[in-house]
Amino acid sequence: MGGVSDAIGANFMTAQLDKLVNWARKSSLWPATFGLACCAIEMMATTMPRHDLARFGMEAFRASPRQADLMIVAGRVSQKMAPVLRQIYDQMTEPKWVISMGACASSGGIFNNYALVQGVDQIVPVDIYVPGCPPRPEMLMDGIMLLHQKIMRGEYDARRVTA
Amino acid sequence: MSEPSWIGGPEWLEMAKGLRNERWQLADLCGLDGRDLGFDHRFEAVIQLVNYETKERRTIHVRAEGEPPSVPSVAEIWPTANFMEREAYDLFGIEFEGHPNLTRILMPDEWEGHPLRKDYGVGKVAVEFIPQPFIQVDAPGQSPGSTESKVQVDALGQAKPNGSEPS
Amino acid sequence: MTTTPEMIVSRFEEAGHGAFVEKYNETEGHMTINMGPVHPATHGVLRLLLELDGERVVDCQPIIGYLHTGMEKECEDQNWRGAVTIVTRMDYLAQFFNEQVYSLAVEKLLGLEVPARGRYIRTMIAEINRISSHLVWFGTQALDMGAMSGMFYGFREREVIVDFFEMVTGLRMNNGYFIPGGVWEDLPDGWQEAVRVIVEMMPRRLDEYEALLSENPIFLERTEGVGAISADDALAMGATGPILRATGVSVDIRRDRPYDAYGDMEFGVPTRTEGDVYARYAVRMIEMRESVKIIQQCLDNMPAGDYKNMDPKLIPPPRAELNRSMEAVIHHFKLVTQGYTVPAGEHYQAVESPRGELGCYVVSDGGSSPYRCHMRDPSFVNLQSLPVMVRGGLIADLIASIASVDPVLGGVDR
Repeated sequence: MGGVSDAIGANFMTAQLDKLVNWARKSSLWPATFGLACCAIEMMATTMPRHDLARFGMEAFRASPRQADLMIVAGRVSQKMAPVLRQIYDQMTEPKWVISMGACASSGGIFNNYALVQGVDQIVPVDIYVPGCPPRPEMLMDGIMLLHQKIMRGEYDARRVTA
Repeated sequence: MSEPSWIGGPEWLEMAKGLRNERWQLADLCGLDGRDLGFDHRFEAVIQLVNYETKERRTIHVRAEGEPPSVPSVAEIWPTANFMEREAYDLFGIEFEGHPNLTRILMPDEWEGHPLRKDYGVGKVAVEFIPQPFIQVDAPGQSPGSTESKVQVDALGQAKPNGSEPS
Repeated sequence: MTTTPEMIVSRFEEAGHGAFVEKYNETEGHMTINMGPVHPATHGVLRLLLELDGERVVDCQPIIGYLHTGMEKECEDQNWRGAVTIVTRMDYLAQFFNEQVYSLAVEKLLGLEVPARGRYIRTMIAEINRISSHLVWFGTQALDMGAMSGMFYGFREREVIVDFFEMVTGLRMNNGYFIPGGVWEDLPDGWQEAVRVIVEMMPRRLDEYEALLSENPIFLERTEGVGAISADDALAMGATGPILRATGVSVDIRRDRPYDAYGDMEFGVPTRTEGDVYARYAVRMIEMRESVKIIQQCLDNMPAGDYKNMDPKLIPPPRAELNRSMEAVIHHFKLVTQGYTVPAGEHYQAVESPRGELGCYVVSDGGSSPYRCHMRDPSFVNLQSLPVMVRGGLIADLIASIASVDPVLGGVDR
């Protein structure tokens, strides 16, 4: 279960409070601007009038990782970018989530070569993978809704708990 | 490939000065590894020039000789050659003598090797399917908040029939 | 070389902190700061190393390569037709131009003719793409100048155009629609109506944009006389496209060396003389109107006939034919499994992309995949003119200049 019970200790039943906290978290995610390539354009299109990401309470993309709790890795991650990506991720505040948007971020996509990291999950733990090259805005929104469900269930990635 | 005519490095530097005075502009400069093309030399720089007044274009091939292969830099004559020569250096290892800042441009500074050389592999890695410990997802049509009747899936994300043992 | 997480983390620890730290030069009072590669105003993963004297930019050094994807190497690993899917992902806002320049270069090596309908379709789609690319530029330029509504407007119209691309190609971006020899499929039924919607919508919407920005005092204050570059400097730095035309040099490959169907089109090449951010803004706005004219001409004069060269040894037969002809199935199988070979040779082809001269230098050794496929991307070269524009200006003006150069980092790093 989530962070609230850790803070108060084991003496209280906090299941319903956790639910409230998770509901608050999922209803207002703050994504970091982490547009890399083609997918970034679709990510921008998702926030724009036609698709209107504001319906999910997350239209404000934060430029500073300190103010963000969701990183949408939109595009291909090169070997040169990988350390930067990790640094941005480390600067984000807990609890934090990662969506790997597009085939390149998820697995290297069609570019299986020397320059690309074959999947951003080699660098940061990923919660949701969104397929597509690039994914349509609807697919990204579907990924976001899946993440909402994950947050509501209070699941945390196993790697993050042990780290 | 039909044999283009090559010129040597010093000749190219002289020629470039003359062309600059005739208002030729440098459109493109790139490296080429001729290992499998059957030339006498291996590396060359391929230069595309454009003259905006007469609307002409021409291509010049400059041999890169020596070890490491080198070509005189024309970054003083056409400042735009700066990035292009750095790119050719980065990807082919062609040295440009007299370049103001000949460092890697696309690859990380500590990278080893020059990726576009023909003896440098594409760098494919085998696609692995790593077994994940245990994933639970919602059943289709299940309400998001529900904690019951989750479907179990195996390592490849295939749903298992209810009641089987989790892996 | 495979990368392990440990390698990445160790590289991060070695290089990361040292490279991003800010420095203060005591003797001159200059501050060296790092901007990017993750910064909202650098349009992707551009990194700038700035030397500042207070608010004033003394020097600016672009550092690129954060999106290097090894596409030129990847092309050498594909067959000739498959490389289209690679090049289309380079400059992802002007995807059709990448396909077009590559296809033109390969056609030249093959000596392949494109039927008139194929050339017209390519011209029309490319011009629609030019508008959609400029719309993203308009949105980001306006956003960086503080006019957020410009972003909303630009993307609103872009969605209509992207819907048209989806109707024709099945994809919103990274289409892979142009192939050496023509285009993959004929235009679908009802394309005239969809194009007519764009042609009728754009001039009115462009009027709206101009009413919003062109005489807006805040916008003028932030763009007029800002980031100016002279014609000589622009030529020396190799700038092309709107940057060069905004300095008064009238260069447009569509007019100077016509390719596809541009020889049959009538259009103007707008120029300005100031060379500042506002001039580049004005040039691009007029360019969109000129594109609408070209689209209208393509719509009116679209020839009938084949949309691609029907040479069965080089171009896959149309889908319907596979149901009827055994020979078509054999040709299709051979082309998909082995591809075709291209006679040995080399060719450099240039087209006018929304950002300037997009060149493709292709070398064939007679094999079934490109021996070398180099793209001369306009963003890569134009980026060199950025330091010239911003030296001596304020940091706020730097933002305006970056937006007006309109670099697409996918094209810069390839």
